[in-house]
Amino acid sequence: MTAISGTTAPSVTSGDRRLRIAILVLALIGIGIAGYLTYVHYAGLKVLCLSSGGCETVQSSRFAKLGGVPVALLGLIGYIGILASLAIKTELGRVAGFGIALIGFGFSMYLTYRELFTIKAICQWCVSSAMLMTVLVILTAIRALREAPAAT
Amino acid sequence: MASRTKQKEEARARRLAEERARAERATRERRLRMIGGVVVSALVVVAVFIAISSGGGSGTTGLQTGNKASQLTTQVDHLLKGIPQTGARLGDPSAPVTLTYYGDLECPVCQTFTLQGGFPQLVSNDVKAGKVQVVYKAFQTATQDPNVFKTQQVAALAAGQQQRFWNFTELFYRQQGQEGTGYVTDSYLNGLARQTTGLNLSKWQSSLGDAALGNQVQSEEQTGASVGVNATPTLVFKGPKGTAQPSSSAVPNYQQLEAAIKKVA
Repeated sequence: MTAISGTTAPSVTSGDRRLRIAILVLALIGIGIAGYLTYVHYAGLKVLCLSSGGCETVQSSRFAKLGGVPVALLGLIGYIGILASLAIKTELGRVAGFGIALIGFGFSMYLTYRELFTIKAICQWCVSSAMLMTVLVILTAIRALREAPAAT
Repeated sequence: MASRTKQKEEARARRLAEERARAERATRERRLRMIGGVVVSALVVVAVFIAISSGGGSGTTGLQTGNKASQLTTQVDHLLKGIPQTGARLGDPSAPVTLTYYGDLECPVCQTFTLQGGFPQLVSNDVKAGKVQVVYKAFQTATQDPNVFKTQQVAALAAGQQQRFWNFTELFYRQQGQEGTGYVTDSYLNGLARQTTGLNLSKWQSSLGDAALGNQVQSEEQTGASVGVNATPTLVFKGPKGTAQPSSSAVPNYQQLEAAIKKVA
């Protein structure tokens, strides 16, 4: 990152740098949210919630687990995966980051649908995570589709 | 000569440009193929996740029949054996500590608490010993339709008129269905009633129309709301030394329940 020369397609490289920073920040926020929810789940604590009981209802519904694994943990793994993909400097890293974000986005949309129409309760933590995943899928898609910066 | 050299150079430049373009095209195609593959794989993963999530949830069974049903009845009878019941109360009415349990029969966390949390041990130790009495109060959370909530709660209270409230409730939690699937129907409730040992079915059925039971459900909900209940299970211990709630856990274990009892006893 430090050795970017101004001669090799500066707009692409600096754009990629900005994208990477944005993805890094969003993934870190995601890790914070999913990490908190995972911790709360395993510690058997109640979720801090702005609205009355919404989070509790959502976290305690059957959709909070996928085959026995709390979805918060899956989210945590996803965000860590996206973060890790940033460290892989090749095309594979960019495409993998996009793949993980796409899975996260798809599943988040499904869970949001369940929140709205089945559980009929909204948990701000989950909505925040769904929004993060939405932005992440867009950013990682741009990164994956773009010409490789400073291609060798 | 000069023009030939120039022509050669031009041809070379053209060739290089073509090669570069070809290479770029190949790279782009490779990238698009890769992305396409990733998109397809991601969609498959999401579809599998959704299938698992919408499919049979863990621990959700629905109404059982045959051997499995009689096993559940035996389990419940064993747990409640020798413990007095009056309405929604389990245990000796003169027990010094009262646990008020705000619950929703369709709530999965209530199910976890009642079947796997500290509750079974509380019943077989403290309630059986006459130290603690448990009073169940209705509070709608997981059940979506208020009418269904009332119906199922009235069904339990109707069993309570025959000192079988807790048998019915325990059987309900043991056969709780998938949230949001509308599994609580008249035939589901009838099935539970049939499984309840010693319940006079026709008497139970006529109690279902008892307006007093419906009013009781409503007043229990109002009581819950007035004391700030916003989730289920909410557990409040009351004893000679005041009231206490077990820690901050949604599904308290036996030690956490004991700690709360100690505070009030």
